[in-house]
Amino acid sequence: MNNTEKIKKSLNKRYRKEKRFRLLSLLAVLTGFACLFILLVDMIIKALPAFIQTEVKLDIHFDQEKLELAAHFEPEELQNANFRGLIKQSLQQRFPTVRKRSDKRALMRLISVDAEYQLRDKLQAEPQLLGETVPIWLLVDDDVDTYLKSDKQFGRVSQKQIAWITELEQQERFQKRFNYWFFQTGDSREPELAGILGAVMGSFYTLLVTLLLSFPIGVMAAVYLEEFAPRNRWIDLIEVNINNLAAVPSIVFGLLGLAVFINFFGVPRSAPLVGGMVLALMTLPTIIIASRSAIKAVSPSMREAALGLGASKVQVAFHHVVPLAMPGILTGTIIGLAQALGETAPLLMIGMVAFIVDIPQGVTDAATVLPVQIYLWADSPERAFVAKTAAAILVLLLFLVAMNGLAVWLRKKFERMF
Amino acid sequence: MTTTNIEQKVNETWGKPFVDNAKISIRNMDVFYADKQAVFDVNLDIAKHEVIALIGPSGCGKSTFLRCLNRMNDTIPICRVAGDISLDGENIYDTNMDPVLLRARVGMVFQKPNPFPKSVYENVAYGPRLHGLALNRAELDDIVVTSLKKAGLYNEVKDRLHSIATGLSGGQQQRLCIARTIAISPEVILMDEPASALDPIATAIIEELIDELRKNYTIAIVTHSMQQAARVSQRTAYFHLGRIIEVGETSQIFTNPQHELTENYITGRFG
Repeated sequence: MNNTEKIKKSLNKRYRKEKRFRLLSLLAVLTGFACLFILLVDMIIKALPAFIQTEVKLDIHFDQEKLELAAHFEPEELQNANFRGLIKQSLQQRFPTVRKRSDKRALMRLISVDAEYQLRDKLQAEPQLLGETVPIWLLVDDDVDTYLKSDKQFGRVSQKQIAWITELEQQERFQKRFNYWFFQTGDSREPELAGILGAVMGSFYTLLVTLLLSFPIGVMAAVYLEEFAPRNRWIDLIEVNINNLAAVPSIVFGLLGLAVFINFFGVPRSAPLVGGMVLALMTLPTIIIASRSAIKAVSPSMREAALGLGASKVQVAFHHVVPLAMPGILTGTIIGLAQALGETAPLLMIGMVAFIVDIPQGVTDAATVLPVQIYLWADSPERAFVAKTAAAILVLLLFLVAMNGLAVWLRKKFERMF
Repeated sequence: MTTTNIEQKVNETWGKPFVDNAKISIRNMDVFYADKQAVFDVNLDIAKHEVIALIGPSGCGKSTFLRCLNRMNDTIPICRVAGDISLDGENIYDTNMDPVLLRARVGMVFQKPNPFPKSVYENVAYGPRLHGLALNRAELDDIVVTSLKKAGLYNEVKDRLHSIATGLSGGQQQRLCIARTIAISPEVILMDEPASALDPIATAIIEELIDELRKNYTIAIVTHSMQQAARVSQRTAYFHLGRIIEVGETSQIFTNPQHELTENYITGRFG
């Protein structure tokens, strides 16, 4: 048997091995893809109800007497007028047979607690409605909403309420519309009123602080360690510590933030500022490690070229090395920020888990963030929060996709520059 | 073949290492990488407006030697240089000598063309901008065009001064690197195998260019090509295991080497 035959004989075995390996790799990719697909589909299906809100049409008579307003009243008095009474009146007219006090209360519970404010806003916007009777679409309570959206399977509604709902349905007084409210408000105890905007803004401000702190510090640290630091035991120690920091559980950073930033420096609690600072600490090792490897990957011939022309070390670093390493640095930064975006544990320690209704207007306002909002909603007993939780997860995923898209775009942009 | 078979001494330099009009003079130079010595007791003068070729087998220390002349080895922490190297009588390893200024006076062209990944114009303009050599845009434009012309590249790139330099061919890139070096008007240009990555045509162009540049600059060139050394240089130094074995007029080295090691090397029996 000569060599050619020997090789030929071994070829089949080699190809079989290769084929096997390729199949296994493909299987691995498909498994990952399938998991992602299942997760996404499940989330989307669960989240869909959160994007739809049921409203009920009631004929409201803006009765000055019922509103407890004098004949001549100041506009401010509208704030305290009895709009709830209007709803009560309207419901009683529609269901005149309901007499018992407890039944009347159950009837009122069909309508969201926010409905009276809807009426108030309506009357403030159109004062000429006073004394008129108009049909108005009002938010229904989340239990009714859930009951209707789940094809009458779920929802905490009594038999009597079901009868009323059925009656209203027969009169075609329900409509489903897109829940734009969800994207415009902060958190609420009432699921039909709870929105994601507060958490989105909280996450935005927190990440802004994180980025502004960790990016410059991380890049400068990486540049120093790679370009300027002498090779000695201290630098080795720093390196080891940075690598260790990357593996520290995030809750430890939260405790540190609580002890140092809040208790010692007196940074306001629950604010994106302190959240951002804690997350910046957490993100720093990731950015430093990624930036260092990006800087290390810059060809030494670029450094030589610049040095040979008489550039100083700082000029070499900032004219050539950092711009060339920028795509890698940015990728590392975005990965770090994406991690920070999904981080919950450290924020629990610094009070960002508080129930906050207002939308934060700056970095020092109390706020919560998306993952904490998900945690809070997942913890809430109302059935409608299940959908809200899934919807919040979708918003978080969208946020992540947007950030990664940005990373890809920046990479391309910086690569094209050279 | 190893050194032990050679009867002639290797620890002293044969030929004429010293000249009257020295631009750079090197005395008793030793270079160490940590504990390992790479260059042993080198004595050499490089004359004004001459091209000196440094030849020798791989790993003989000629590149190390060259990189010490503009302190490029400063970037290697374990590298240590002993002895005197002076440029116009000033010791370049003196504490008063600023390496940035030194490298502006002693430029370097590397083995692999290494243009910055920027436009052709930016590549050449980088040095003058760095040192503030041009007062305004017009002066800068002038420096860029003159340097490109001197490097014999202008006609080829005049229409794409603002396209990216890494898109040029290897030979063009290397000439761009030369243009970039001469844009800051150095006094000495060190070339570390500038044509080793190029085809024969590009090599020929570079060699012509070196000959042309000799009028204004002092040039030290490391090369593996004996023919190239013979074509471009006036003097040649032969390095062997970290020592200069022989220095002399190029014609003499190639026709009548005095040391057996030199002879072996240039006749191709060695290295």
